[in-house]
Amino acid sequence: MTEPSLTVAVIDPSPARAAILEEGLAAAGIARVVILPDTADLSARVAALNPDVVVIHVESPSRDILEQMSGLSRHVERPVAMFVDRSDVPMMQAAVDAGISAYVVDGLHPQRIRSILDVAILRFNAFARLQRELLEARGELADRKLIERAKGILMTAKGMPEEEAYRLMRRKAMNEKRKIADIARAIVTAADLLG
Amino acid sequence: MRLALGYVPLVDAAALIVAVEGGFAAEEGLRIDLVRESSWATLRDKLALGLLDGAHMLAPLAIASALGISGPETRLAVPLGLNLNGNAVTVSRPLWSAMDPGSEDLDIVARAFGRVARDRAGQGRPLTLGTVHPFSSHTYQLGLFAARGGLDLEAAVRMVVIPPPRIAEALQAGHIDGFCVGSPWNGLAVEAGYGRIAAFGCEIAPDCPEKVLALPADAAASVGLVRAVSRAGRWCADPRNHDDLALLLASPHHLGIAPALVRRALAGTVVVDADGTRREAPDFVSFGVAVERPRIAQVDWFLERMAAAGQITLTPALTERARALYRPDLYDGAIG
Repeated sequence: MTEPSLTVAVIDPSPARAAILEEGLAAAGIARVVILPDTADLSARVAALNPDVVVIHVESPSRDILEQMSGLSRHVERPVAMFVDRSDVPMMQAAVDAGISAYVVDGLHPQRIRSILDVAILRFNAFARLQRELLEARGELADRKLIERAKGILMTAKGMPEEEAYRLMRRKAMNEKRKIADIARAIVTAADLLG
Repeated sequence: MRLALGYVPLVDAAALIVAVEGGFAAEEGLRIDLVRESSWATLRDKLALGLLDGAHMLAPLAIASALGISGPETRLAVPLGLNLNGNAVTVSRPLWSAMDPGSEDLDIVARAFGRVARDRAGQGRPLTLGTVHPFSSHTYQLGLFAARGGLDLEAAVRMVVIPPPRIAEALQAGHIDGFCVGSPWNGLAVEAGYGRIAAFGCEIAPDCPEKVLALPADAAASVGLVRAVSRAGRWCADPRNHDDLALLLASPHHLGIAPALVRRALAGTVVVDADGTRREAPDFVSFGVAVERPRIAQVDWFLERMAAAGQITLTPALTERARALYRPDLYDGAIG
C-alpha cells in the first residue's frame, strides 16, 4: 500500500500506542501521519490539519467531538463521517475489539480506508500483546522475589541449605497442586504475622 | 444470565447503577457487569456490535441509532425511561457579565443571551456553545433556550461537542462561552469558579425525557432487567435514599467527584454561581415510577427537535420507524 497523497490523523490517549500506529502507517506508505493531542480544542486542530482519515481509539472521550463534525451541523468546517461499512460487520467488530474507530472524509474510496484499518488493527493488537507480556513478565519477577524471600525464611527457621529449602517448597506445591509462588506467599505472610 | 451493560458516568445513570449494586438485578437472577464508557459514540457502537447487552443512553441517540443516522443502523428497543431532566445551561463568567440579566427569570436571561449572541455574531466573532452529542436533549435545549431569547441558534452561534469531563477546562481556556450538560458537570464548573448556571433544563423544556434503557430488539432478559431497573429507579426517587445514592454515584469507580455535588443535584438545590447563590428546582432531575413508562409522544417530540435542528427530514415512514423503538408494551408486560 502506497498512499502518497493521504493524510491520516491519529488520536489516542496512550502516546506509546499512537507512536506505534504512526510508525506502522508510515511503513505502509502513508505520506503524512499526524498524532493529534487528545485535548478540548481537538475540533479546531482537526479542521486545521484537514486529514483524509481520522483514526481514533475507542476509549478516547474525543470520539463525540468527531461526531459533531459529521456534517449534522451547518457549522462544520470539515465534515467527516464515521467509517461504517454495513457489508463488513466482522471488519468493524475487529476494529472495535482492537480499540479502533475511524472517520473518513466523504468521497474517499472504501478500499483505501480498509487498508488503513488493517494496519491499525494489526498494530493495536500487537501493542495489546506486548502490554500483556510486560504484565506477565512483571508478575514473574515479583514471584521470583517472593520465592527468594520464602527460601531465606525457611533457611533461617529450619537451618537448612538453600537447595533443600527450595525442594521443600516445590514438594509442598506439587502435593497441594499449587504454584511454588503461592506456597512462598503463604510462608512470607505467615512469617510477617508471626514477626 | 450474565449481561454487560454500558453507561456514561452521570447522575442519571443512577437507576442502572443501583439496579446492579443495590442487588435488584440479582433478585431477578441477573448477573450484570457495568461497563463505564468514555464516549456516547463508543457506547452506541458497542451496543450495535453486540459487545454490550444494553445501555444507559441519550434518548435521541437511541432513536438516531435505530434510524441508522448515527453509527450503524441497529435494531433496538426502549422498554423504560431512566429519568427526566437533569441538564442545565452554564455560561462563562465573562458572558454572564455581558448578559447582566439582573434576574433568574428564564425569559429575561434568554433575552439577555440573545442580545449578546447577536452582537457577537454581528462583530464576526460568534459565541461558541458546547453540547455533549449532536443527538442529545442538550443540543435541543440550547436551541429552545436561544429561541426563547429570539435567537436562531444555528444561524448565530457555533456549536461544538465537548466531552463533559473537559467542559470546565474548555470554559476556562475560552474555547467555549457556554454549554448545556447533565449533572454533575454544571455544578463542577461553578465550583471551579469558571461557570455561571444560566438556566435549568427543566425550565427550558419541562419534563424533558433524558436517558433511556436501550436494549437489542431481541433481548431475552428484558423482563427481569426492566423490573430490576424500575425498582432501582423507585429507590433512587425516594429522598430518604439520597445520601446513600450520592455516596454510591460519587465513588471513584463511577463519577469520582465530591458527593455533595451529587447530593445537591438530587435535592434540586443548585448552587448557580461562585458566590454560592442557591436556586430550588424540585424537578431538577427526576427518577422513579412517573418517568419510566416510555411514551410515543416523547419520540414525536424528539423527531420534531431533530427536524428543527436540520438533522432529519420528517416523513411518515421515518416517524413510524422511530416510534417502533419505544416499547411501552414491554414495560407493561414487565411491571403491569
